[in-house]
Amino acid sequence: MPNLLFYLFAFLSVGGALLVVLNKNAVNAAMFLLVSLLGVAGLFVLLDAALLAFVLLLVYAGAVVALFLFIIMLLDTSPGAQKPFTAAAIGAATIGGVLLLLGVRSLCKQGAMPLAPAGGMGPSLKNYAEQLFTTYLLPVQIVGFMLLIAMLGVIVLSKKFEVTEKAP
Amino acid sequence: MNPFGLNAYILISALLFAIGFFGVLLRKNTLVIYMCLELMLIASTVALVAFSRFNGTLDGGVFVFFILTIAAAEVAVGLAIIVALFRKRQTIAVDELNTLKH
Amino acid sequence: MTMLQYAIALLLLPLASAAFIALFLRRAGGPAAALSTAAAAVIAVISVMLLLNGGHFESSVDWIRFGDFAIPIGIKFDDLAALMLVIVGVVGFCVHVFSLGYMHDDPARARFFGGLSIFMFSMIGIVLADNLFMIFIFWELVGFSSYVLINHYHERQSASDAAKKAFIVNRVGDWGFLLGIIWCYYCFGSVNLTTLAGLTGDESVVCSKWIPLLLFCGALGKSAQMPLQVWLPDAMEGPTPVSALIHAATMVAAGIYMLCRIHFLMVPDALSVIMWTGTITALYAALCAIVQSDIKKVLAYSTLSQLGYMVAAFGLGSLPGEPGMGKLALTAGAAAAMFHLTTHAFFKGLLFLGSGSVIHGCHHEQDIFKMGGLMRKMPVTFLTFTIGVLAIIGLPGLAGFFSKDAILYLAMEKNPAVFGILVFTAVLTSFYMIRMWKIAFFGSARSESASHAHESGLSMTLPLLLLAALSIAAGYSGVFGKLAGSIVHLVPEAEGSTHTTMVLISVGILLIGAGSAWFFYQAASTDALEEKSPGAFGALEWLKESFDRLYNYYVAKIQQRFAMLLNFLEQIFLAGLIIRGFAGLVGLVGYGARALYAGSLNAYVYWFLLGAVLLWAFAAGIF
Repeated sequence: MPNLLFYLFAFLSVGGALLVVLNKNAVNAAMFLLVSLLGVAGLFVLLDAALLAFVLLLVYAGAVVALFLFIIMLLDTSPGAQKPFTAAAIGAATIGGVLLLLGVRSLCKQGAMPLAPAGGMGPSLKNYAEQLFTTYLLPVQIVGFMLLIAMLGVIVLSKKFEVTEKAP
Repeated sequence: MNPFGLNAYILISALLFAIGFFGVLLRKNTLVIYMCLELMLIASTVALVAFSRFNGTLDGGVFVFFILTIAAAEVAVGLAIIVALFRKRQTIAVDELNTLKH
Repeated sequence: MTMLQYAIALLLLPLASAAFIALFLRRAGGPAAALSTAAAAVIAVISVMLLLNGGHFESSVDWIRFGDFAIPIGIKFDDLAALMLVIVGVVGFCVHVFSLGYMHDDPARARFFGGLSIFMFSMIGIVLADNLFMIFIFWELVGFSSYVLINHYHERQSASDAAKKAFIVNRVGDWGFLLGIIWCYYCFGSVNLTTLAGLTGDESVVCSKWIPLLLFCGALGKSAQMPLQVWLPDAMEGPTPVSALIHAATMVAAGIYMLCRIHFLMVPDALSVIMWTGTITALYAALCAIVQSDIKKVLAYSTLSQLGYMVAAFGLGSLPGEPGMGKLALTAGAAAAMFHLTTHAFFKGLLFLGSGSVIHGCHHEQDIFKMGGLMRKMPVTFLTFTIGVLAIIGLPGLAGFFSKDAILYLAMEKNPAVFGILVFTAVLTSFYMIRMWKIAFFGSARSESASHAHESGLSMTLPLLLLAALSIAAGYSGVFGKLAGSIVHLVPEAEGSTHTTMVLISVGILLIGAGSAWFFYQAASTDALEEKSPGAFGALEWLKESFDRLYNYYVAKIQQRFAMLLNFLEQIFLAGLIIRGFAGLVGLVGYGARALYAGSLNAYVYWFLLGAVLLWAFAAGIF
């Protein structure tokens, strides 16, 4: 049973990803990204990180992909004529593919790595919160600051620049 | 619950990352490229959670929180830039956005 | 104020005057002249006061320090310095007053007086210096002031050329001088004059005979001895007061002064070289002076000749029978040289200023063959000029007689060959001086400007009178004794029967030289020698030109080619390979870095991939 679930979620995530890349239509690509996210969330659950799975779905699937769709439909573009791939692109893709194969091969030869004892700090909300607010307090603060800056940045970026240029 | 070892999860993470990379390499639509970037980030979160589970610590998971936050902010700002760019250049095909050449 | 403070004020006053003129009074000729002359007056007063006060003092302060090594700046005031200071002060003051009148109509008056002030500062620096480095610093400064002042009429190409020539020839001498100073420091560990005197007091500590010769190179350049004498006649391009102050009385005498300062370093070999150099210069210059037609050039060659006398006197060293060097404060030769320097400063300064008065009166006519009849038109000038001429040719009773006699006596005792040459030169001196005197002042006016000549104003005649008085008086031991303190006892004096011999020889020289010149030359508009014996005239002229031609050949053929070779090498290696090579390298790196800024996104992805590959290889252990 766990095998099956694993295979299912793995298939979802990798398959979704492939289809994101291969699809011509941008909206379709966003949809398949969603599918891939579902698969990943399932993998998280299999890894005993249910909280993270839900957070992932909430933030990514709920906010990020929605934003993507919003923008895709705002910028109403028609897919232009697909130009043929340049030699550099093909070359780079080949190298990437070779690297990927090497990686996969080395991983498969590794042999199964054992599980750690299930004790220790279990992944629960309480433990996560404890970590976040003690050991990782500084990164939390910085990330908060960064969100503020991102907000400011977005506001500035979305102003109409023509208006300020014409101002006397 | 985990008949497979760490290898499988790392393999998935690697595959996702590679696919995302190919997407960035080969697609022309800026928005799709951006989505493939997000794919790469997701791949890294998978790897992190897998390692954290197999070491019995929480650090990987905590880091995933940060990655999510960063990704969200990044998407917001990046999309704002793309929109501004579209307003200026009326195109989002990557090979036409090349005025920063030396 | 203590004496030391007066001495420091003496040094800094002309510097302040020059700085003030340079900063604020560039266009204001009148105030600049007044300021500079006032400074000169104060200098004269202070120097006389320091002399009358007596007392010796020394003081120094470290100026630059590099670890163990320090360049000190200090003041050494003894009899020698006192004497030299009075000469510089008095003659300087006379020249300043003279320039008030002479340069009255010159538009660049302020620059001239600024240059004079800088010169006074530099010269006083040399006089008061207590170590060789300081002497060198002020040596160079004096050379610079000379350049500025010779170049006063810089619109004239000949003036610029002459200034350059003076500076460059001096530089050649200064190179030897500097080598000598460095060697001296290396050998003895100090360049302080008092320390050196103490060290070399006993004759066993003699480092090398080349140190004094190298130091003499400086005097070769500055006092225009052979073979570096070529700059002095050309330096007459400067205004006449400059010629009087710098190229007759003080700067060229700095070489002699420096030699006297370092006399304890001398060894017999060096002294004989010095003696012969001086003698040959004296003879050469006297021969060249016979055929000059420019009044200032005659005086220039005369200066060269008298400087040769001084150098030869120094080279003669001590009287036979006296204790060796180092036991005396100065050798007899050095004392005789200083004596002649003093009297020469007065009467040559007088002669130059007198010629300036003549030139000014004849509206800037300098050719003696175009003058004439000035005896009646410019009586004061004529009187003072005559006193100067008689002093230089050694009329008994005037200053020049005593100093020249001292030298001739010393030569007679020590080296008959030198004595013979010096006597012949003295005859020639009388010869050409009387020639010039007669042609310039006697007869009738031979040109427009001479016929309209008029006596110069007070500002020009007063210094003439003062210097004339000094030319008469400075020879007597009463006056010179006051001036020179203990030095006067070292001057060789003939006694008894040799005294009579010397007087006879001197009078004989005078009569032969002057008499033959008087009867040979007419106050006509052409040179009698040229008419009657063109061969001799041509030979003497060739003598004068020979050095210049030799140097021209050397510079044009040898030095110029060497310079071009070096230029070629520099273009290839330094400018090309090293400088442009490095710049090109940096440019290449920049060009490569620019390639990173491809506009297309895909290129950045390729770079990313490259980075990933490298990291992979690194992790896999390939590197």
